[in-house]
Order: sequence, then structure tokens, then C-alpha cells
Amino acid sequence: MMMNDETFFAWLDGELDPAAAAKVAAQVAADPDLQQKAAAHRALSGRLREAFAAVASAPIPDAILEPIRRGAVVDLAAVRERKASRFQLPAMAQWAAMAATLVLGLVTGSVLDGGSTTPVRSESGYLVASAELGNALDVRLASVSTATGPRVGLTFRDQAGSICRSFNDGSAQGLACRAGRDWRIRGLFQGANSQTGEYRMAAGADPALAALIDSTISGEPFDAPAERRAQAQGWR
Amino acid sequence: MDFERGLQECLPRLRRFAHGLSQNAADADDLTQATIERALRARDQWTPGTRLVSWLYRIMRNLWVDTARSRGCKAQFEAPPEAGESVGFDPRPGMEAAIDLGTAMAAMDRLPEEQREVVVLILIEGLGYRETAELLDLPIGTVSSRLVRGRTALLEMLGE
Repeated sequence: MMMNDETFFAWLDGELDPAAAAKVAAQVAADPDLQQKAAAHRALSGRLREAFAAVASAPIPDAILEPIRRGAVVDLAAVRERKASRFQLPAMAQWAAMAATLVLGLVTGSVLDGGSTTPVRSESGYLVASAELGNALDVRLASVSTATGPRVGLTFRDQAGSICRSFNDGSAQGLACRAGRDWRIRGLFQGANSQTGEYRMAAGADPALAALIDSTISGEPFDAPAERRAQAQGWR
Repeated sequence: MDFERGLQECLPRLRRFAHGLSQNAADADDLTQATIERALRARDQWTPGTRLVSWLYRIMRNLWVDTARSRGCKAQFEAPPEAGESVGFDPRPGMEAAIDLGTAMAAMDRLPEEQREVVVLILIEGLGYRETAELLDLPIGTVSSRLVRGRTALLEMLGE
């Protein structure tokens, strides 16, 4: 029986199952023409593989390796960028918290040891607003401007539902959130008065404070009526 | 697996595949470079745990098809049908002459593209019929018949 080429070559390439392969092998063994054809094609495959083996064992040109090296670098940058944007708020908050820690270090070292103008005091291991600042946070409304003393900026609820207020008393600015009857300090930064040279803010809040607010706020800041209502309810 | 290291490990095979498909060594290295660049850009589309080299073969093959199309099909008809007889044919009887790379590439280049890719993948890269069929999105019978025609033509060009 005449064998078709597809079957013959499938056998030659080891693509047939054992039973089919045995049948073809028997036919080839009995046919000198098929034997010669098999040998010629085995030789052809071998010579082709040998010819192209030179490429596979040759050194890779730099032009080809270069994008891989460059790709690794670019990719690392892309990963960092993705991470940065995904974790933007927490990263900023972390940075803000770090800045707050530094400033708190200065504040606790130099201001806490006395003076009625000290904006913060320590209470059970937490920094809370001192009498003057606490009073201002209790009674002052952002919508009512004041000539002296701490000014209150934004009022809003944090993710846990506590009311938080930002403040600026000239020497320090920060964020305090209601905890029981205290205003617990979430962040404290240098105020506009103590900023010097290129670090002085022309206007507005320290960007670190803005970042801290961004990462703390839940929903929108209170408008004037909401602020008054919150005050009437004791900032709860 | 580290993607870049995987790429590097596949490079010798990719370059060999490129030489099997291309007309000359310069084109082959351009094709390899383009494949690497596309692979780096599309790395998110590779499923870890699957064979990286198969994915790369496919990228290379598609790039090659695009380039071949943009070049037009003139190359296919350039060589006179009889030219193969003198290419790399060693007339000494009984000798299995080694074929140099240039000769092998010239012979490959004379095959129609759809036969060439099948021949390179199976005879040179050592892929199985099924793997080749999957890579080229072809029925296995088509792969098998193209392989018969391709290798038969190569034997006529290259020897015996």
C-alpha cells in the first residue's frame, strides 16, 4: 500500500504514536526507495540544524541586549511610578507625619516647658491642644475672622467620624481632632511667623498640612452652617 | 521568573528563528531587536508559568509577517525556479557536505513564507507539530502538508 508523505514525515519526525510508527517503520524497512528518502531527509534536517546552530552559539550583539538592559531600568522606574500613584495619599501622609514628628520634636523640646502661649501639651501620652488653642478650637468659627490668637481653618470629619479642625496660631499650624473633651494633635508644623527665608510660605497652609488634611478627611469640609451645628453639638 | 533574564535566555533561539525567517543576517538581527522591544512593552500580556519562548516566537513571527507584507510579495518571485540547484549543492557523491549559514538562509528564503515558518519551527527550532500549529493558529494537517512541501523543496535545493 502506498504511504502518503504526511504520514511518512510524521513518522520521521517522531510524531506518530508507537503503533502507527511501528507500521510505518516496517513498510520503510521493506522499501529501499523509502529507506533512501528517509536517510536523505534525516541528513537534510541535520545539516540545516548544524548551519543554524552557528547563530544560536554566537555571542548576542549589543544592539539586541541593550533594550533588555534599558527595559529593566525603564521598567523599574515604571513600577516605582505605579507604586507612587497608587499609594500617593498614604505616602504623602507618611511624609507629613514625618515632618510633623520633626516639628513636634522642636516644639516639645523648646515650647512645652512652659508659657501660656504653648499650643500643645502632653495628656496620657498624646499631644493635645493646650488651653488657649483648645479654647480657640472649641469656640472659634472659621467663618468668623479674629484679630489675635489661633485661627481655625477647615473643619471636617475624619474617616473614623471624629471632627477635625486645622489651626494656625502664627508660630505653629496643624491639625487637631476631637478625642473626648480634648483636641488631639494629628500634626503640627511651623507657622508662617517662624518660617524664614526661602522656606517661608507666601500664603496659605504648609503643603505638609494640606497633605495631612487630604489623607485624613472623609467627604467635604464643613460649610459655615455645618460648622455652627457641629459647634452647638460640642464637636461630636 | 525574572522577565529580563528569561528574555536573555531565549535570545539564542530567537536569533536562530529570525535567521531562519529572514533574507540576511542584518534583517534577522533587526527582527530580533524589534521582537525584544515589543516583548518588553507587552510584558504584562505574558502569562507567567507559560513558555516564554513560545510567546516570543509568536511575537517574532507576527512581526515578520507584517514586515514581509509591507515589503510586498516580490521576494517570493525573485529567484528563478532552477536557481536552487546550484545553491550549496555538493556534487561529490556520497558526501554529506556541511551547509554554511548563508547557503541555508538563501535556500530558506526561496521557500514561500507559509512553508518557511513551518520548516524553521519544526526542523530548526525543534518544535512539535501540535506546538507549531498552536503557535501559527493553523490546523495540524495544514502544518503537516506545508512541512512536506517545504522540506521537499529544500532537499531539491540543498542536496542529494
